[in-house]
Amino acid sequence: MENETREKFIIPIGPQHPALKEPGHFEFSVDGETVTGATVRLGYVHRGIEKAAEERNWVQDLYLLERICGICSHAHALAYSLGVEKLAGVTAPPRAQAIRQLVAELERVHSHLLWLGVSAHEAGFDTLFMFSWRDRETIMDVLEGLTGNRVNYSVNVLGGVKADIDDARADAIRRGIDFLEERTQHYLKIATSDETFLRRTRGVGYTSREQAEELGLVGPTARAANVARDVRVDVPYAAYTDFPVQMTLDTRGDLEARFVVRIRELFESYRVVRQILDRLPAGELTARMPRRIKEGETVSRIEAPRGELFYFIKSNGSDKPERIKVRTPSICNFAVVTGTAKGHQLADMPMILAGMDPCFSCNDR
Amino acid sequence: MDIVKDILAILIFPAGLAVMAGGLAYEWIDRKLVAQLQNRIGPRWFQPAADIVKLLAKEEVLPEGVDSRLFYGLPVVALAGVLTAALYVPLFGLAPAHSFSGDLIVAIYLLSMLTLCSGLAGANTNDRFSLIGATRTLTQLFSYEAPFLLTLLGPAIVAGSWQISEINAYAGGHWLLFTQPVGFVVALIGLMGKLELPPFDAPEAETEIVAGAMTEYSGRGWALFRLGKNVELIIGLTLIAAFYLGGLSDPLGFLLKTLALLLAVAGLQALFARLRIDQTVGLWWRAGALLVLAQLLATIVLKGMTA
Amino acid sequence: MRLGAMFGDMFRSLFKRPVTELYPFRKEPAPSRLRGALTYNPAKCTGCQLCVKDCPSNAIELITIDKANKRFVMRYYMDRCTFCAQCVQNCRFGCLGMSNEQWEMAALNKEAFTVHYGREEDLQKLLSTNPHE
Repeated sequence: MENETREKFIIPIGPQHPALKEPGHFEFSVDGETVTGATVRLGYVHRGIEKAAEERNWVQDLYLLERICGICSHAHALAYSLGVEKLAGVTAPPRAQAIRQLVAELERVHSHLLWLGVSAHEAGFDTLFMFSWRDRETIMDVLEGLTGNRVNYSVNVLGGVKADIDDARADAIRRGIDFLEERTQHYLKIATSDETFLRRTRGVGYTSREQAEELGLVGPTARAANVARDVRVDVPYAAYTDFPVQMTLDTRGDLEARFVVRIRELFESYRVVRQILDRLPAGELTARMPRRIKEGETVSRIEAPRGELFYFIKSNGSDKPERIKVRTPSICNFAVVTGTAKGHQLADMPMILAGMDPCFSCNDR
Repeated sequence: MDIVKDILAILIFPAGLAVMAGGLAYEWIDRKLVAQLQNRIGPRWFQPAADIVKLLAKEEVLPEGVDSRLFYGLPVVALAGVLTAALYVPLFGLAPAHSFSGDLIVAIYLLSMLTLCSGLAGANTNDRFSLIGATRTLTQLFSYEAPFLLTLLGPAIVAGSWQISEINAYAGGHWLLFTQPVGFVVALIGLMGKLELPPFDAPEAETEIVAGAMTEYSGRGWALFRLGKNVELIIGLTLIAAFYLGGLSDPLGFLLKTLALLLAVAGLQALFARLRIDQTVGLWWRAGALLVLAQLLATIVLKGMTA
Repeated sequence: MRLGAMFGDMFRSLFKRPVTELYPFRKEPAPSRLRGALTYNPAKCTGCQLCVKDCPSNAIELITIDKANKRFVMRYYMDRCTFCAQCVQNCRFGCLGMSNEQWEMAALNKEAFTVHYGREEDLQKLLSTNPHE
């Protein structure tokens, strides 16, 4: 080894590494086991989706953009449809909006349970990983039964939704939610009481409220540091005005708080899902959409499971968009890794990384 | 004729092939138990053996910048070490193939060879993950080794012998599990530390340092290290069962006692999140070593008073 | 703070069957809405091409055999299809649907993924004019 590398011992994590199932590259310089610096490099799964979207018509783009991310596919499709509808001056019928919100909340449940398993695995707690993913199958089945697919639900169309909910379907969803609520209680108890697990989460990756504001964190990562930032509450979209959600906040700002916030958000999702099922507005599922969208540009923001998802859509009056720009929550949150890594143990790095719930395929597009 | 018998004992039974097959079987049972505890199916019965066969058939990549003699030699030494240790323990409930006064110390140090070898192997390969892994392996070695040794000394002191077969015979009449419970627990957990099983798998934590010291190993070398681990698992279980669970005198008792221990080990594996290496060291020196030392002192005092 | 908070789960699962599904040895029926392979009913098709226009992956070709008599053959590229069901949504005459039975579509050759739908005689006509298809 040369002298240079001897002075600065760098541990690379990614783009191929068992800790990250998606390609991203992190370099942690370490002194023994203590991390002294961290850098991040992204862009390994750039697929040119934004450019490709300019080549396809408005309807085709819906499915292209939905495939930006497998975990929050509905969030992308929803942000895009809401934006395009705003441009075209069309509003989807209330029943469609309610179903959109319902699927969005079910997706949040599935995403947070997935995250819980992944984070537990990073901590070497494979039993929690296996059990939380076993229970996540319930919500996957519910979504599959409702929309026809486990991952890319394709429930949106421009101007409405495809899937309707009848009483039998609503009961199936309620049953799934009831089971999951009980299990989630259990996981909350584990995440806040298991000694070995708490040793890996409590006080690790702490961000103060000021720091979180400064780094521009979004989503549950920000809410765990007591930053009241949730698009569902701040600028309600879809049916969130009729079925409002409560913001879940925590003051502690460490990994444990991120666990608690995400798990407690699940209860809020269960509550809203039940409320929607009980008071689902009657009426049409779709509104008529023009093939060509009026010239103009718009911004569409929604709260994806990982935080604020931002779409900029520009139309030149043809049947294809002129420009679509996506900003995903992960890019805002990577700063939490580089910003808090210093002084932690190397073993904490995968935990801190997983704690912000990174989505590289969203991020790189 | 004695030499033929010795060679048979080393190569086929009870050491050699038999203990390797036993080790693979125990690895499978361990994995299956952990899977069952996690509500999964787990591997099929031949999976560990199939892995070894596959690894043996594969190319062994010699990484750049390593000492090739060490790289190829260390796995062999590691496996040879644990196989030799197998000669001195009452495997399968039979009398040890070899026995002499003080063989307990020899067996314990032969068992440590595997960890030392894998630490050296990691330090030998010029790879970041290996180097960190090697540091952690050796750190962990220094933390669990002393308490583990002390837990095996406890029975030796009450039996008044350093010979495994004599301690085994003594334990046959005394369930030391009840008279030295701390020693038993620490020995079991020490064995998990020795084998780098979760939650003490920081030296090979896959989410941090890929495979730790073994990252650069492939093919035959990796197969030999894995076989070594499996053999060490069965020897470790045998030792603890012989010392603490009323001795081993017949194959049935051996099976029952070691499998019960394996169930406990599997449960502990599944129950906890991985400890950071600093937490592991802290746990062993602050809790493990002190508790065992206290118990050891109490044992010596009691023995002195009764004698 | 307590040690082993998951002990209860583990202990119970010791006496439970694993939840792992034994696919492909035991197959569970798919939910009714599952979006599997596309199905096409030529009887009602008017050849409006709306399904072709909005397909995000160009998986559909509608070949006109006889426009006046509304005879069409659909060439469906199963490997390109993303199973989004936009074509089903677009079709005003309900001739498209997605099967919830045909969803295991792996094959060893590419030919298996090009499927023709249509009336028997139309298919024959098409295939006889283009023998290599």
